[in-house]
Amino acid sequence: MSIALLLIPLGLLLLAVAVWAFFWAVNNGQFDDLDHVAEHALEDESPAAALPKSPP
Amino acid sequence: MSQVAAHLHWHGARGLEQAEFFAEGMHCANCARSIRAGVGALPGVRQVDVNLTTARVSVSWDPDRARLGTVLDAVEDLGFHAVPLNGTAGSEARHAARRGMQKRIGLAGLAAMQMSMYTVGLYAGAWSGIDPWIEQLLRVTAMLIAVPVLLYSGAPFLAGAWHDLRRRSLGMDVPVAAALLLAFIASVLDTWRNSGQVYFDSVAMFVFFLLVGRYVEMNVRRSSLNAGEALVRSLPATVTRLRDDGRSERVPLQQLNAGDRLVVPLGAVIPVDSTLERGSTLVDESLVTGEALPVTRAAGARLPGGAINMGAACTVRASADARHSTLASMAALIERAQAERPPQAQAADRAAAHFVFWIVLLAAATAVFWYWFDPARAFPATLAVLVVTCPCALSLATPAALAAATTRLARRGVLVTRADALERLAAIDTVVLDKTGTLTNARMQLADVRCVGALPRSAALALAASLEQRSAHPLAAAFIGATTDRVAITDLREHAGHGIEGIVDGATWRIGKSDWVAQLRARTDPAAARPAAPAALTNADPDADDCIWLGSAAGHAAAFSVADTLRPDARAAVARLRSLGLEVRIASGDRRATIARVAAELGIAAAEGRMDPQAKLGLIRRLQAQGRHVLMVGDGINDGPVLAAAHASCAMGGGAALAHAAADLLLMNESLVGLAGAVQTARGATGLVRANLRWALGYNLCAVPLAAAGLVSPWLAALGMSASSLYVVERARRFARTDA
Repeated sequence: MSIALLLIPLGLLLLAVAVWAFFWAVNNGQFDDLDHVAEHALEDESPAAALPKSPP
Repeated sequence: MSQVAAHLHWHGARGLEQAEFFAEGMHCANCARSIRAGVGALPGVRQVDVNLTTARVSVSWDPDRARLGTVLDAVEDLGFHAVPLNGTAGSEARHAARRGMQKRIGLAGLAAMQMSMYTVGLYAGAWSGIDPWIEQLLRVTAMLIAVPVLLYSGAPFLAGAWHDLRRRSLGMDVPVAAALLLAFIASVLDTWRNSGQVYFDSVAMFVFFLLVGRYVEMNVRRSSLNAGEALVRSLPATVTRLRDDGRSERVPLQQLNAGDRLVVPLGAVIPVDSTLERGSTLVDESLVTGEALPVTRAAGARLPGGAINMGAACTVRASADARHSTLASMAALIERAQAERPPQAQAADRAAAHFVFWIVLLAAATAVFWYWFDPARAFPATLAVLVVTCPCALSLATPAALAAATTRLARRGVLVTRADALERLAAIDTVVLDKTGTLTNARMQLADVRCVGALPRSAALALAASLEQRSAHPLAAAFIGATTDRVAITDLREHAGHGIEGIVDGATWRIGKSDWVAQLRARTDPAAARPAAPAALTNADPDADDCIWLGSAAGHAAAFSVADTLRPDARAAVARLRSLGLEVRIASGDRRATIARVAAELGIAAAEGRMDPQAKLGLIRRLQAQGRHVLMVGDGINDGPVLAAAHASCAMGGGAALAHAAADLLLMNESLVGLAGAVQTARGATGLVRANLRWALGYNLCAVPLAAAGLVSPWLAALGMSASSLYVVERARRFARTDA
């Protein structure tokens, strides 16, 4: 059962990585606008003003 | 703070200063009450308005006795965060709040998933035996994960409860925080003692479910700000003003004056009512009038504030300052509607506040009961009682449904100006329509042409149209639209109050009032000092609203009758109102014969003409005495008292009428068909309110006894509570989206 000593810290590490990745995505504005970004591809000409500003 | 202050503060009326902001962290009626009481108690503060649905707070104070800083400090002290309504600081703060919420949810969700693996291990171990050291390892690991979940993801609940307790009130966060801390501390003690059951997984799941509920609620609250308010918030903080020397400067919107010239770039909101200086542009007026398609406007056209410029950058001249534009009036009306809490919602709020108190009491009773009866179940049962109850569903039921209905109506150009208008509108059974400006539009149309002598009808029309071609008088439109023929004309002159004069082929012609036209003949033929109009012409249609004469030195040549035209959608609108089971009547100040004709055309039996406002008031009182609920529809300007007396009232919106409208509803796109839709939506909304309240009450009545009996595990309780408020909000959202 000593494998648990390895697997549990490994699980914690994976959790930390997952949380870090999610925070990174949020901070990069990946979840800021979930409704309208998909429609950008259909717009004729996308003037710079209509696009969301690049993330800081 | 100074950055915030710059965006939310201005000098109000009567020497008072005023500030308006969002209070982040406001979730319930109790929060709203504490802001109202806490800020209202400051010395010098005159008025505090708190809108729970939109989380907007408006404070006005006496600058000699209070300062903006004191007000904002008080708000922060109560546990809320003041965020400006618009401007970049405001949107950044809202952005940050949203992202923070997403991170909290993400952490809680991932942690809950990971933790359930360890918990399954613990459960399996309890069933089939487990090494004590591994059991302890699993507990400690779960505890390690639970700490950031409680302290980071759960922080809003803990902070909310702390502020609630500090101001000695019981908000919704109190039972939540109590449950979280109880579960966490008990689990830590059990881990320390190396025995018993741990609830770390319940803590994580509870936080996760609750946060998801709050997050959805936050989004709905922001999207249910109705179109008008969303628009006011989309106004730029500064505008580009053109100076007389041709250079441009950026000035705050508040400093804009009537007569200033502005540059409006592509895609920008036209901030105030204005006229287009030159060229033409495409304008999207949907936010103001509900008109879906962009319209082309030429130079000189009036652009309502709030329209969006869809064409190239254009120059406009402001015709009013920011405070007196269509947009400002709309905003004020919406504000009024939202500041008032409908009686139904107030009752639900009070119930929710009492509810929290009883829940805490009930949780204590549950703990005591199980402690005597079966100590092992005392803890989970108490936890479940604290968690399972949901006062949010109760207090959200009414505002969510009403906000949804308001949004739906705003999209179709119907502005709701009173909070309780929808409730009253749902109850009406009789509609009384005014004629002029309501059933008919202000556009005049030629009803009849009669000629004398040799002048043929077409020639008379062509003459009239040519004389009227440059006139801005409403009557001129009737002639200009009647024929495309024109004759060459010189010396065209308009005599105010009389008519128009011009020279055709060397002969002077006049169009206008009978006496004035007759003077032409009197000039050349003094014998006929004041010739009367020919008998054949004086016997004009008595129903005609107005009679206009055409004549030359030879005397009267033709008479034109002009009447306003029925709105194209009037017939359809009356039919739809009827199909809703409403009785439709006409009450108008116009001639009886005209009204009879209009009524016959629309198939309305009950029509009365020659009614002054007093008589209309009498009619409404009479109908009300018969136990009827009357909706009065007028043009909103001269029938103010009549509108006020009716059970519900509706006026044609637009322009100046907006500012002093006494009506509950305004039809911004001047389409009567919207009226039937509004009645239908109001009925739907009141139905939804009742269904929501029934559901929230039913849920709590079922869930609490089950939890107290120890039949609901804490995580299931968390799921049930979040689901119940989500259900209420989601139904309102669906209602806002469906089209009826």
